[in-house]
Amino acid sequence: MTKSNIKNQGLNSSRRDLLKLMGAASALPLLGACSSLGGPASKDLSARVVVVGGGFGGATAAKYLKRNAPDLDVTLIEPNKVFYTCPFSNLVLAGMRTMDSISHNYNELRELGVRVVHTTAQDVDPVSRTVSLGDGSNIRYEKLLLSPGIDIRWNAIEGYDQAAAEQAPHAWKAGDQTRLLRRQIEAMDDGGVFVLTAPANPFRCPPGPYERASLVAHYLSQHKPRSKVLILDAKDNFSKQGLFMQGWKDVHGDRIEWVGLSGDGKVVRVDAGKREVETEFGTIHKASVLNVVPPQKAGFIADRAGVTNESGWVPVDPVTFESTQVKDIYVVGDATIAAPMPKSGFAANAQGKVAAAAIIAALEGQRPLEPSWANTCYSLINPEYGISVAAVYRIQEGLIHESSGGVSPSDANATFRKLEVDYASGWYSAITQDTWGTRR
Amino acid sequence: MKTRFALTFALLLPALPALADDQANAAQTALLAASCANCHGTDGKLAGVIPAIANRPATALENQLMEFKHSDSTRATVMPRIAKGYSDDELKALAQYFSRIGSAQQR
Repeated sequence: MTKSNIKNQGLNSSRRDLLKLMGAASALPLLGACSSLGGPASKDLSARVVVVGGGFGGATAAKYLKRNAPDLDVTLIEPNKVFYTCPFSNLVLAGMRTMDSISHNYNELRELGVRVVHTTAQDVDPVSRTVSLGDGSNIRYEKLLLSPGIDIRWNAIEGYDQAAAEQAPHAWKAGDQTRLLRRQIEAMDDGGVFVLTAPANPFRCPPGPYERASLVAHYLSQHKPRSKVLILDAKDNFSKQGLFMQGWKDVHGDRIEWVGLSGDGKVVRVDAGKREVETEFGTIHKASVLNVVPPQKAGFIADRAGVTNESGWVPVDPVTFESTQVKDIYVVGDATIAAPMPKSGFAANAQGKVAAAAIIAALEGQRPLEPSWANTCYSLINPEYGISVAAVYRIQEGLIHESSGGVSPSDANATFRKLEVDYASGWYSAITQDTWGTRR
Repeated sequence: MKTRFALTFALLLPALPALADDQANAAQTALLAASCANCHGTDGKLAGVIPAIANRPATALENQLMEFKHSDSTRATVMPRIAKGYSDDELKALAQYFSRIGSAQQR
């Protein structure tokens, strides 16, 4: 087995010395799994901890497992060699950033000693503790961590199936969908309408649709000034609503119109070919560009593993993020039921660390530590105007509670709003460094 | 160095009967500190528009965190909302933790 090169000197080499000292008395057995490294697996593998999903939750969990237990055998399963983040993809849609600037690779995780396998996870058998992979091989686990993100509920809105998404993109998973929607926006005729449909709760990234509307409006104001943005919403309230609406008035004038559930905003049918939607009370809206953000559920591997409940999301133990339905499977990120924590990349990263600590504790026969999480969601209304919601979450009486938090002040001045844009950029650099170890 | 070993030891959570309470506390603080990385980088080392917090003097960090939590200063944006989520003792422990991490890495 190839010896891993751990990047951090200092602390980690002290840990290594310590492990050698502990030697036979160690409660953390130094089993090396027999594994072939490099290239697609052509024979079955095993690992003490298998992580499925290399996004904010999974990549963070894999990194922190290795940081805190450098000799632990950790394998990460992720089909993409390059991960595009949904956070800041709205800036790509507005022409403010490139796709490359929101891309992250797995080189530094590999340097840390995580075995990264670029294939899909197709099935999980918790009895044999095996994950079946898309390349035809299987991998056995002692502990499994799933961070599968979301999958779209196809046909939850009549007419919105996978084929429809090629004409009316959701762009709610970043990558090709982002590129597709960006091309459509660039090709819009001046004077057209960008229609965005927003779903009922719960869904990935509660402020996301409204930031998207804001930044598309910004792009239109510069390049297609007679164009408008229409948001058709399946609900009456949304994240940071007061701040968004004030911000829209302040910088976008009447370019953005929002129609809530009570105003006949709920979309019940999509005709992607015609770029038309029909709302609950029979109104037809025709779009130049139609962006459907549809109802969602946990990524499919969660269903296969048996960790989802009837809601389609994953209930977890709030202290450890272990599945309440299947032992030794931990789940983090958007797929989980972790309210009041939102479904955000920030929260997924925080949950990944808590689950990593809980897994190490479990492997050592220790009680888990008391967890805590933070979340901060920045939204840009235009390149000079940013808003945020931030909170800290703790366990109280066995449940996750918000122990502090709030949104940006409603009466903040222009300097404050610009500062939050700058901090959003700083946040993005920090969280992506913390998750994948790359700088942007 | 002794403190660093203690912290390392605690982070590994070995099942040795002589493990002192403050090593368990150190592990608890490390977990509490984990969310700070989301804006300040892993180990609080990332320097940029959001400042690095690693290796700054403990008293400076503690004073800053207390100001975020207890004063009504509007100079800060997000930190007052975050600092209020922790007890004063936890903030002091976090200040100690980050002051010991090592030198910050510049962009």
